[in-house]
Amino acid sequence: MASVDPKSSPNSPPALATTYEGDDIALLERIVPLIDNIEISPDAIARSEAKRACLRPEVLDEYAAVAKCVQFIAHGIGLSIGSFDRWEEGYLHLLDELFDRFELEWHSEHLACTVVAGENVGTMFPLPRTEEALDLVCERIRLIQERYRVPFLLEHVIHLLPDAPAQFTPAGFLNAITSRTGCGLILDAYNLECDAFNQGLDIMEFLAELDLGAVRELHLAGGVQYNGFHLDIHSSRTSNRTFILALDIIKRAPGLRVVTFEFLKEAIMLLGHDGICDELKRIRQAIK
Amino acid sequence: MIRLELYQRGLLDLLKKRGATPDDPYLRCVAKSQALVIVREIAVWWRVFQIETQCRFTSCLLKHLRCFNEVVTSYFNSNQTSPFVEELSRDFLSSLRTHDLQLIRTVAEFEYALLEVRAGCAEHFEIVWDRHPDLLFQALDKEDELPAPEAECVYRMRIDRELPEMITCTRETLVKGDLQN
Repeated sequence: MASVDPKSSPNSPPALATTYEGDDIALLERIVPLIDNIEISPDAIARSEAKRACLRPEVLDEYAAVAKCVQFIAHGIGLSIGSFDRWEEGYLHLLDELFDRFELEWHSEHLACTVVAGENVGTMFPLPRTEEALDLVCERIRLIQERYRVPFLLEHVIHLLPDAPAQFTPAGFLNAITSRTGCGLILDAYNLECDAFNQGLDIMEFLAELDLGAVRELHLAGGVQYNGFHLDIHSSRTSNRTFILALDIIKRAPGLRVVTFEFLKEAIMLLGHDGICDELKRIRQAIK
Repeated sequence: MIRLELYQRGLLDLLKKRGATPDDPYLRCVAKSQALVIVREIAVWWRVFQIETQCRFTSCLLKHLRCFNEVVTSYFNSNQTSPFVEELSRDFLSSLRTHDLQLIRTVAEFEYALLEVRAGCAEHFEIVWDRHPDLLFQALDKEDELPAPEAECVYRMRIDRELPEMITCTRETLVKGDLQN
């Protein structure tokens, strides 16, 4: 089983990663000297041909062109690891294609459901923190770990809808998954803030309970406030508040290997190439 | 504890405004929540965004007619939507083939054909316009008043990947007695 076994020494600073979804060579050329890893989202660089999804070869070529300068990690959206009936096999085909082409340090998914009874829901439903959901997710993680011999990480998603009746606390549920399966975690600092704002999550209590030794990657992003809710749309730079929380997590997570600044491809116009590069420099300065 | 299947099917039904009020107390609580409205808006917003980028003229026309969001929302609620923009666009445009307004049907048909042919489809498509298509596209681009239908002629457009420019269009004068849909 590929479990989380950080190789870097406890004192070395985490590496810096960012998202890149293709079609903007000028941006790629500017960000590569600033980062150590590129986070590839297989779903975001896929297209459907005759009802079958495949990775866009032109984007893969862009990654290949910088493969000597950066390492790659994969971060999925569409596996739907928590669907009651089945996960999305099509996503695994995309991942196979990516593994065939590149060496990935690890791959990850959201702890969520995006497909219900074969129907794409168009958003992510968080899982109820129940024994039933725990069993289902742990079994699927086991299958993933067997299939891909690199570590697998899960990321918690924000909760907008009222919390379902639960048998675990938010941190307790993640702890149960990581202790049963040996999989790692991605903590998203902005997602935690969204949950604090929208659902009253006590972040300090959450972090105190969470096994931070399982945290391998930290996500940074900025979002928006809309009709009284904080939304995790990766459309802006990281706020100072999120940054402070992230630095606290970095200090407390001994196995943390990578800090990733995430932004949507659609937000590049808003952020600008300069804005993205400035943000990467700012994060690098803060984490070193 | 709520069973996973009930939870997920229940949330999907609520998201897509399907079925009656749920019996389960948790789902009833979700049904009444402001957050559900936000989650619905976000889900539709993504579809709107994808459709705008892929189906430019259809989106412009629906916006011009002040029904874009309503049409996309109705499409989202009534159909399974693909996470892939290529499939979503084509399925959305196909769904407009039965729209009440002929102009919406024609523009959607045109964009569908264009997407298909650009994607390598060997089939050819014929679209018949009741007004000058270029003038219509210009008006949609500039958000101007749309050109009126021309009673005395139609514009017959062929979309085919074998054509040098992929599209040809000819103006045909109607003789008395010709039928127009």
